[in-house]
Amino acid sequence: MRGLQTIDSFLQDFSGLLCAHNACPRESEELPVPRLKAGAKDCKDPKGPKQSRKRLHLFLTLIFSFVPYLAHADHPKPWQMYYQDPVTPVMDHLYDFHTLLLCIEGTIVLIVGALLIYVIIRFRASKNAAPSKVAHNTLLEVIWTAIPVLILVFIAFPSFKLLYMMDVTPKADLTIKAIGNQWYWTYEYPDHNIRFDSNIVPEDQLKSGQFRLLEVDNRVIVPTHTNIRIITTSSDVLHSWAVPAFGVKRDSVPGRLNETWFHVKKEGVYYGQCSELCGVKHGFMPIVVEAVTKAQFEQWLVSKKNPAQTPSGG
Amino acid sequence: MKEYHRSTLIILSSLAFVMLAITFASSALFRMFCEKTGHGGTTQVAKRLPIRVEQRVITVRFNADIQPQLPWDFKPLQKEIKVKAGEVGLAFYHGKNLSPHHTVGMATYNVTPHKAGIYFNKVECFCFLEQHLEGEQATDFPVQFFIDPDIVKDPTMDDVDTITLSYTFFRLKKPSL
Amino acid sequence: MSYATTIDHVHNADHPTGWRRWVLSTNHKDIGTMYIIFGAFGALFGSTLSLLIRLQLAHPHGTLLSGGEFQIYNIVITAHGLLMIFFFVMPVLIGGFGNWFVPLMIGAPDMAFPRLNNISFWLLIPSLVLLTLSIVVGSGAGTGWTFYPPLSSIGHPDAAVDFMLVSLHLAGASSILGAINFITTIFNMRAPGMTMHKAPLFVWGILVTAFLLLLAVPVLAGAITMLLTDRGFGTSFFEPAGGGDPLLFQHLFWFFGHPEVYIMILPAFGVISQVISTFARKPVFGYLGMAYAMVSIGVIGFVVWAHHMFTVGMDVNANAYFTAATLIIAVPTGIKIFSWIATMWGGSLTFETPMLYAIGFIILFVIGGVTGVTLANGGVDISLHDTYFVVAHFHYVLSMGALFGIFAGFYYWFPKMTGKMIPEWMGNIHFWITFVGVNLIFFPMHFLGLAGMPRRIPDYPDAYSGWNYIASLGALLTFAGAIYFALIVYYGFKWGKKAPSNPWGPGATTLEWTLPSPPPFHTFETQPHVS
Repeated sequence: MRGLQTIDSFLQDFSGLLCAHNACPRESEELPVPRLKAGAKDCKDPKGPKQSRKRLHLFLTLIFSFVPYLAHADHPKPWQMYYQDPVTPVMDHLYDFHTLLLCIEGTIVLIVGALLIYVIIRFRASKNAAPSKVAHNTLLEVIWTAIPVLILVFIAFPSFKLLYMMDVTPKADLTIKAIGNQWYWTYEYPDHNIRFDSNIVPEDQLKSGQFRLLEVDNRVIVPTHTNIRIITTSSDVLHSWAVPAFGVKRDSVPGRLNETWFHVKKEGVYYGQCSELCGVKHGFMPIVVEAVTKAQFEQWLVSKKNPAQTPSGG
Repeated sequence: MKEYHRSTLIILSSLAFVMLAITFASSALFRMFCEKTGHGGTTQVAKRLPIRVEQRVITVRFNADIQPQLPWDFKPLQKEIKVKAGEVGLAFYHGKNLSPHHTVGMATYNVTPHKAGIYFNKVECFCFLEQHLEGEQATDFPVQFFIDPDIVKDPTMDDVDTITLSYTFFRLKKPSL
Repeated sequence: MSYATTIDHVHNADHPTGWRRWVLSTNHKDIGTMYIIFGAFGALFGSTLSLLIRLQLAHPHGTLLSGGEFQIYNIVITAHGLLMIFFFVMPVLIGGFGNWFVPLMIGAPDMAFPRLNNISFWLLIPSLVLLTLSIVVGSGAGTGWTFYPPLSSIGHPDAAVDFMLVSLHLAGASSILGAINFITTIFNMRAPGMTMHKAPLFVWGILVTAFLLLLAVPVLAGAITMLLTDRGFGTSFFEPAGGGDPLLFQHLFWFFGHPEVYIMILPAFGVISQVISTFARKPVFGYLGMAYAMVSIGVIGFVVWAHHMFTVGMDVNANAYFTAATLIIAVPTGIKIFSWIATMWGGSLTFETPMLYAIGFIILFVIGGVTGVTLANGGVDISLHDTYFVVAHFHYVLSMGALFGIFAGFYYWFPKMTGKMIPEWMGNIHFWITFVGVNLIFFPMHFLGLAGMPRRIPDYPDAYSGWNYIASLGALLTFAGAIYFALIVYYGFKWGKKAPSNPWGPGATTLEWTLPSPPPFHTFETQPHVS
């Protein structure tokens, strides 16, 4: 356990240094999730992370020097090269962990590339006419077995932490059920007797500013700063309910209920697409989640609760 | 064919046949595995009633789905009930055949979070049998269950305060009657 | 290693000629040649489909494959995957190079079961015919190469999917028979003195591959059979309506499918080892480590299958196990990469076309390998599963791994197989076209995947259009490279200079280089002694 904590704290420092992409990165660290009360931890937006965020942008911009868009993407942007902006604690962790992985792996690729270039230049036939006969070096072989093992152990600890964090289901204040159909989503709010279908908006009905292939007629409305349990199943073939900015992707399987959760920290509209091949219109059943304040959510519930609505269940 | 070729051939072909046989057995093995371990949220069939009741209260929510091929209405009669670990709970689902014809349905079931499957015991459940409904017939399906009191001893279950019990009714492909 | 070889009598007159020579062939070289020609046809078919995919996706609003509400698109991606795997990479690497060079490298006169070898090849022909039928029959098989039920059962009611499944049955039977043949040959027919620990690494690669085939393909065969009976005979192995579980299919499929990806890459590992050792003029560094790295990759390959299923909702402990097991594969893979570099270290390197492909293989395989480490993490995979990041990853290890292995092997052994040399400058140009082309296609796909673009969609939100356009340009370039490659091969046959028995110099130490180019119809009828 001690080793785990050490590595974790190192990871935190490391990710704090490089990867503080969101306003309050430490918030997610504090999430002993079961005890999380809805809305208890609002973003405090301290000064420190802002600076490291600048550093991150500088760092990433150095790597991807021609990236026009890096900030606040709730939906994909042209020429985007990295994740959409995370808006849930899980995606915060995922984002930081992936950035850590990217740094490690990028270094490995650079080292191998540099070795190759050195070897190609130094040991070309014109420079080295007589090949050596060395075909073993036990120490070397032990080293290049052991070092990758160490790197993998270093990766495995935060990886498991992320996995177990995703698995822990916090006390949820709202349950939403997503049913995959060929080729649209049906949503239920079982606690509020709300049920509606969510179909793609055809191209000729798009309003200006709306995204082709991503917009739906009825969005999922959720309150921010609330733990939301999402349960999903399918009425026909496999589908997968996914929202990239949430770090959520869960297969919808006929005859089986799956569960996951998210906690949106920022109001906004978040877009996803069905992520399991489900037939001819697989690319045409998007997912749109609109996160609003709790007060707006209550208003929406009232507006939805009229007698014309079909009750849930059938 | 040389003798040692023949014996190699026999060994290798038997390996392939063993793999094939295991694959065909996997259907039964996988079901047994799920039942034994609660994998995928597979619930347990209670052999005896629990002997103690813990103080931990768990909310059991109920979910109902129906495949479009089965012309039934199917829904839980209660959204949720709260039970203590080890306490036997009773819940009802309501089913109605919306068609004028006799139809047969069979329910699949699981619980979420999946890790709770091993602790979720059913004493009696309509899902163990195929269900026949005459045209327009309506009926209530009972399910009697309890949550294994050992759940309080499992630290990985500490976060579970809500379990969702889910049924999906399918039209039976080959009714046995 | 040095070999004392006896080249035996040449019996060019005692074999059948005309169509009998090929249709009734029991000669490993002829069968190998047929596999390579067959694989070339599969490659042409499969890469034409990939070009169609990239043309469809070159711009948003693509309409090229929009027939049947884009069912055509789904058929094309399905057929592309199956063709490339079962009718290109496997026939060329295992059937082609394996048949040609395993007996030659171990000093055997032929395969252990020559008639079985013939059947293995000819089973592929009806298999390809059936796969082609699955494209055109009814509404076609648009299930993806993974053909998950219920989309492949209730989702595709007409006969197309049945044709596809029977096609895979035949291809699978062919693979199992071939695997038995290779294992028996390698175990029982090595020349005196050639212990397993002296066998060339290509032979090791084929041996491990054959074991993977032998143990994994029956699982595919079983799963396919169960799916076929679900579709046609009322069983419910995978149908929840009858008490089955669609996820069981995924477990079975990936229990086959993960070893399958190693089946495609391990022979390429073997080719790369031979090529690098040849052109570095040094023995392979850490030979035993290299051989057992392949063995351990093969073994671990059987216990990691569910890392393809992190989003289906598995138990967290299962996810953690599959994460850990998958990460471990990076260790033997790393050993191989470093050993290749160490083989080059201190060598006397020349950069003929096979060597260029081998070096390209190393760097691109490392890129594909590290994105594999990313995807191995169950948590991160949630964000990348079924996105273009996965497409980028597996094309880096296959389209640049297996394909570069095939090209390296082809340029390396072309003089041996045909007795003709391909001019180096022609091959060099082909390498650079392919290298730039495939990177243009697949590197941008990492960005698309990270930004959230799902796989297997025929049209995409407009924001993804930039990188998709670049990828499509790359596909055009790569395809042009493929046409140029066909011209090179034609040139080589027609005007290529006569190849000596060993065109690559002292680095080429394996037994096939002791034979004339092309080798006589019968070789090593008296086995050579290896010292």
